Amino acid sequence: MDINNKDLHKKGALYSSSAVRPTAATLDMFPSWPLRFQHLTSTRISSIGEEESTDSGSAVNTASPSSYSDHRLRRPPPPQMDAGISADGSQPPKQIPEKRRGPGSNSDKVLDAKTMRRLAQNREAARKSRLRKKAYVQQLESSRIRLSQLEQDLLRARSQGLFLGGVGVTGANISSGGAIFDMEYARWLDDDHRHMSELRAALQAHLSDSDLRVIADGYIAHYDEIFRLKGVAAKTDVFHLITGMWASPAERCFLWMGGFRPSDLIKMLIAQLDPLTEQQIMGIYGLQQSSQQAEEALTQGLEQLQQSLIDTIANSSIDDSMHHMALALGKLANLEGFVRQADNLRQQMLHQLRRILTVRQAARCFLVIGEYYGRLRALSSLWASRPRDQAMMGDENSCQTSTDLQMAQQQQQQSSRSHFSNF
Amino acid sequence: MEYQTDDGSCYYAPSAGDVSDWVLRAASSGAVVIFSKSTCCMCLAVKSLLSNMGVNPTVYEVDQDPRGKDLERALSRMLGGGAAVPLVFIGGKLIGAMDSVVAAHIGGTLVPLLREAGALWL
Repeated sequence: MDINNKDLHKKGALYSSSAVRPTAATLDMFPSWPLRFQHLTSTRISSIGEEESTDSGSAVNTASPSSYSDHRLRRPPPPQMDAGISADGSQPPKQIPEKRRGPGSNSDKVLDAKTMRRLAQNREAARKSRLRKKAYVQQLESSRIRLSQLEQDLLRARSQGLFLGGVGVTGANISSGGAIFDMEYARWLDDDHRHMSELRAALQAHLSDSDLRVIADGYIAHYDEIFRLKGVAAKTDVFHLITGMWASPAERCFLWMGGFRPSDLIKMLIAQLDPLTEQQIMGIYGLQQSSQQAEEALTQGLEQLQQSLIDTIANSSIDDSMHHMALALGKLANLEGFVRQADNLRQQMLHQLRRILTVRQAARCFLVIGEYYGRLRALSSLWASRPRDQAMMGDENSCQTSTDLQMAQQQQQQSSRSHFSNF
Repeated sequence: MEYQTDDGSCYYAPSAGDVSDWVLRAASSGAVVIFSKSTCCMCLAVKSLLSNMGVNPTVYEVDQDPRGKDLERALSRMLGGGAAVPLVFIGGKLIGAMDSVVAAHIGGTLVPLLREAGALWL
């Protein structure tokens, strides 16, 4: 008996130690206990946990009261623990009659061994599932902490000018500069979400103009920040920016020179911004026109760069190829200038918009802008996760997606996180 | 567009002061003066922007000037380092590079400046 007791305590220790280290519990899902023995223990546990059934008859109990997965199992093991176990596991046949009293709902029926074992297995599976889930969640939490620490380390390393090598951190086909920018952009999107909530709340609460001004100017500064970050990223990985790999697919679809097209944004806003004074309307249309002119000029400049690049690459002879490659590289370096100018245009446009509008109008305008791009990002996610087998069913598919869109809209209105950056 | 190149009939190594003076004098030679390079794409962008607004700028292609390198140095110094071209003067006043021109245009100050300098009449 003594030996058995020690044995049980060892097993118990295993269980309680697993309570301290969650990952061990996951590994401990299939302990080396004989299967029959497990049924007994699980049955006993569940009967303690779920129904306050009799514990007088049942002899078997494990040290699972110390298992963290079920707080209900905190009861100290009944004294029967010693008596209940035999080393050879020949108990089970004797225990069956006891179990009849356990599950309350079936207590009147005579249950055969097969059904009992099935029920026990189900309970055991459910218990293991709960353990697995808890372990998984704990792993996720610790991974999250590790990830944010890694992010901080990367940013620190970058600011100290350490070169992380050409291979991306993730091993994907993006340079470290691109990977770093993607992280910064993801954080910026989180900030954007926060700004949106702030704007929404401020407008609903009818705050004073001076309070609104702080919030509106804060949003301008928020955009200044992303343009600054893009400027830094343009030095290390201009292709990542200009091909829009940092943006969601839907945004990428409308990409102009590494970002949104300012005149398109104004076109979208004009309809949403009334009522405006006549002077304001003139100002907005003037802004649209000057943006368009600047966009055309930059586009022409970029086209000349592209043509020049094509000529350089196409005209390289076999003897001269290295020289032409060097020339081409020199020309490519000018891409950074164009992305910078495009971002400068975007920034100037937003600042001018802020100047033309009143504080309240500006707050509403920024809310519209934020929600607009939020919807584009949400659209990208929905599109990516649409059911493929419904591709052939025209109407049903559109019904499905419109339901999804409604859900997405409700989600946004509830201010839950609805941006799914392509990161 | 008017293109001007310096004859350089009496060529001697100019001092930095000479070049800067020349640049400032050239900058006042028209209502709108652009210092450019024939191969520079951003210069094309700024020329394109102003032309499409109805302006007729005076353009100096510094890579076609025998004193090209000196000119570039002088131009670069005017902006406190950075790219020498494109550099834009309106009414003899330094406006800056492409970003300054775009900022002025978006901000609504470019057109009044151009009108004041006589580069635009409408």
